[in-house]
Amino acid sequence: MTMPPVLLELFVLALGIVMLVLESFAETRDRKVFAIIGIVGLALVFLFLQVSAPGPSGMVSYVMDWPAIFFKKVSVLTTIVVLIMSIDYADTITRFLPGRSPQSGLGEFFALPVLTCAGMMWMSSAIDFILIFVSLELVTISFYVLVAFMRRNAASLEAGVKYLILSALSTGFTVYGITWIYGVTQQTNLTQIQQVLPSVPLDNQPGLLFGALLVLVGLGFKIAAAPFQFWVPDVYQGAPTPITAFLSVGSKAVGFIVLLRVVLSFQSLPAVGDRLISAITFLAAVTLIYGNLAALPQTNFKRLLAYSSVGHAGYLLIAVAAIGARDSGLAVVVYLAAYLLMTLLSFLILVIVSTHSQGDDIVHFNGLGKRSPFLAFGLLVAMMSLAGVPLTAGFLGKFLVFKVAFETRQFFLIALGILTVGCGFYFYLKVVKAMYWQPAPPNVTAIPISRLSLVAMWVMVVLIFALGIFPQFATGLLPSTSP
Amino acid sequence: MVTLNDYLIVSGILFAIGFAGVLLRRNVIIIFMALELMLNAANLSLIGFARYNVHDRLPDYNGQVLAFFIITVAAAEVTVGLAIIVALFRARQTTHVEDINTLKF
Repeated sequence: MTMPPVLLELFVLALGIVMLVLESFAETRDRKVFAIIGIVGLALVFLFLQVSAPGPSGMVSYVMDWPAIFFKKVSVLTTIVVLIMSIDYADTITRFLPGRSPQSGLGEFFALPVLTCAGMMWMSSAIDFILIFVSLELVTISFYVLVAFMRRNAASLEAGVKYLILSALSTGFTVYGITWIYGVTQQTNLTQIQQVLPSVPLDNQPGLLFGALLVLVGLGFKIAAAPFQFWVPDVYQGAPTPITAFLSVGSKAVGFIVLLRVVLSFQSLPAVGDRLISAITFLAAVTLIYGNLAALPQTNFKRLLAYSSVGHAGYLLIAVAAIGARDSGLAVVVYLAAYLLMTLLSFLILVIVSTHSQGDDIVHFNGLGKRSPFLAFGLLVAMMSLAGVPLTAGFLGKFLVFKVAFETRQFFLIALGILTVGCGFYFYLKVVKAMYWQPAPPNVTAIPISRLSLVAMWVMVVLIFALGIFPQFATGLLPSTSP
Repeated sequence: MVTLNDYLIVSGILFAIGFAGVLLRRNVIIIFMALELMLNAANLSLIGFARYNVHDRLPDYNGQVLAFFIITVAAAEVTVGLAIIVALFRARQTTHVEDINTLKF
């Protein structure tokens, strides 16, 4: 007897609820135990995902194809790393949280990412607009709480309010867009929409395009594409750092799988599908230019990573715009895998350094190469990979993106992409310069690293090189078909 | 006779009012109300589409189910959102967006 795949999501959901319930009955325990429970539970889920194969799911609005499995793995891995970061970050959280006991509120901070993870896993499999909407909101509403979690910290609260307003606005656009798509096609299921689309009469096509564009706007907010990126720098800077990492990787990854599925199903009606592709091409160009140019003058490392996240959304959008190519889905998947590794690695090191030196500006990294050589080496690898130096995972991702863009003759985007990679080298290497060529401030000590973070860092460094040096390691694992 | 177009026009007007409210008003609570108006505009057009897409003399239930989900999710969003706004008011004694400006370039 086979197990229905949706059980995994239910297990993650139950894990989160059990953590919340246990938390309220365990007053004297060290709350960090709950993070360990979460990490162990999610590691189990990851093992299950590793052995599960694509197959029928037994449901109409839920699929278990290989992109779904891949994005579920991404969600689970990200959540595990976020929980590891949260343990290091716990002291900062409790400092800004009023409560009777010194650790009150920490349990929720560890349980909410697990619930968010369940939402992301559902989103990876959703092919029905109803399920897409509900799981998207499960993710978004959990993020509202997490971003504003440090109630006594003005920046965190402010980031929470900004994220609340702009994210709710994007939800409004998405829902209104879904309404119009449903109105024209009379379906909410993406596979059925794909079948119905060719028979949509010409008079109704503007309504359909209107709906699709509104959905694109809503998803543009989630994946941080310009011109819908204005929330990104403020929210990334204000939110607790582990949550910033979660937002920049998890929220973006699942935004892209939904975008891929929607765009793909609209390809069956070229009149609308082609216009959608042109809109995505435009978004990609604006995002690339904005993300990379605005990152140049930044002095705060978190803000720099925020603009870098916008810039990477641009490269990913190039791959989505090249959806006609055979490997376009593969390019998105490999790029996201590389992006996940290098971004989480940077944030992990940022958490460790910023809790030690009480600040997250680039100057706080001065002389890190002498103070903590391993941390500096880890950040060096992450920055090289983000910039796209050969032999790292970031290079492989960019290479595949440009390859599919070349196949679909998007020469303008390729030119723009190569130019902006140049910008990227400048601002990523600024951090490297601070670490190795600037003198350390006086009376600083070496930075202690917890054993769990050390293991996570080693794993990510090794994986970045493994993906960069042996690309077949990535491409061989995945069948080279579009999702 | 009320036609589908009438529903869509009203819903479009509601959506526009909501969007204008988000852009123009300066009080976070009013902005939040405007956001809810946008969701309700979507609900109205969903119900309209569902009512006029008749299968076997029954309305299409997909749209109505989605409308119920939107209502539920909007309620959850309001719960969390108002809590955040209350926390903001306690910390800053204000709900005006001009005062929420410590994070800048």
